Amino acid sequence: MKIIDLSEEEACNENNILFINQLCSNLGLDYATYSTTDRVSGSVQGYANYPEEWKSHYINRGLHLVDPTIHKSALSIAPVDWSRFERDAKYDAVFSAACDFGLPNQGITVPVRGVFGDRGLLSVTTNCSDMEWEKQKTKIMGDLQQAAVHMQDAVMRSDVFARSLSLPNLSAREIEVLQWVAAGKTYQDIGDILSISDRTVEVHLRSSRDKLGALTTVQAVGRAIGMKLIYPL
Amino acid sequence: MIKIIDSINHSKNLDLLEQMHQLRARVFQGRLGWDVNVVDGKEIDMFDNLDPAHVVSVSTSGEVLGCMRLLQTTGPHMLADVFSSIMDGEPPLRSSTLWEATRFCVDTERLGRGKGRNTISYVTSEIMIGAFEFAMKAGVSDAVAVIDPIMDRVMKRSGNAPYDYLGSATPMGKVTALAALMDCSEERIASIREYSGITHNVFSGTLERFLEDA
Repeated sequence: MKIIDLSEEEACNENNILFINQLCSNLGLDYATYSTTDRVSGSVQGYANYPEEWKSHYINRGLHLVDPTIHKSALSIAPVDWSRFERDAKYDAVFSAACDFGLPNQGITVPVRGVFGDRGLLSVTTNCSDMEWEKQKTKIMGDLQQAAVHMQDAVMRSDVFARSLSLPNLSAREIEVLQWVAAGKTYQDIGDILSISDRTVEVHLRSSRDKLGALTTVQAVGRAIGMKLIYPL
Repeated sequence: MIKIIDSINHSKNLDLLEQMHQLRARVFQGRLGWDVNVVDGKEIDMFDNLDPAHVVSVSTSGEVLGCMRLLQTTGPHMLADVFSSIMDGEPPLRSSTLWEATRFCVDTERLGRGKGRNTISYVTSEIMIGAFEFAMKAGVSDAVAVIDPIMDRVMKRSGNAPYDYLGSATPMGKVTALAALMDCSEERIASIREYSGITHNVFSGTLERFLEDA
């Protein structure tokens, strides 16, 4: 199983590193990495903003073969705090080394599953006390979930074959809601118009954002217009 | 007491998982007459092989009293792949902050009526509290559940009414199935706690600590 550092690849991937860096500064984190296992070749590919020395140590030693943040977290539906891993030899190979390289003590991995059973992992790490970490996690978890799905979409999009399979499949209701958003209606207005609750409107919007790979509703409306799913008003 | 069992800690909870699949066979094949696959007295479907998380209610003597299965809606899940008729042929919701709850059941043979401990109502509320607290901790804000009208009434009565429904109610074997939406919020948890009188932590320790040990 090979490991491919996508941050070394062509220029179009700069956006992903930029995204990871922004994520860290916005959420008060030290480092972040996104990785996914290619369904065909079985290779692990990903982006990371870790220090170069750590990246090369990790790649040279083949730590991706034993790293519990990759192999254990993919089995969970919920984000996995690194304190949950068993302290076995595999754990030590990665975490004692990480400690020697001066990497942060706290970390969590957010697993995402795609339509085809593909799994992506967003890991973030920072240096702080257990108590501060608990507080920070509660605050940033929703954002991490959305960032993870965004990264997965970005990596899937870089693959021509996957791209042709993953045209956004929006429901009639999701399109309807986006169309009313484009018309400037509030969630409450839209709920009244469609006889659904405003929270349901929000759930439909969040789902369309994830399907369109958009971070904000404005971006989702833009993409939906670009794909001629809705009309510009 | 609630345990969350997933594919990370399943090898330490084989007995509970076996009991859970036996309970599901008794309930879904036996009592409800659903067309489910039962082998060796255990009900297991393809979604159990996709690393779901199970919210399991366990008695002090180690018996499984009820359970619920959770999956991410971004990946394969029942509403997308099995219950799609409820969605009127429309593509399903897919969101990293929306989980799907399926296979909810409690052991009606072992549990009594009324409201105290060891009642259907108590265990139902305990599982709901556990599931919503687990979801909130994961940054998940909403849940969609495929339920029948009886479950819908139970939830409305127990301070846990769905805030909306998706698609349309669809006949499934002997019953009708609905896709209900619930917010994973402090307000809902407080409301279930008030109805059920459950004030204590439903997990054996903190959720984090419990996940380590379980």
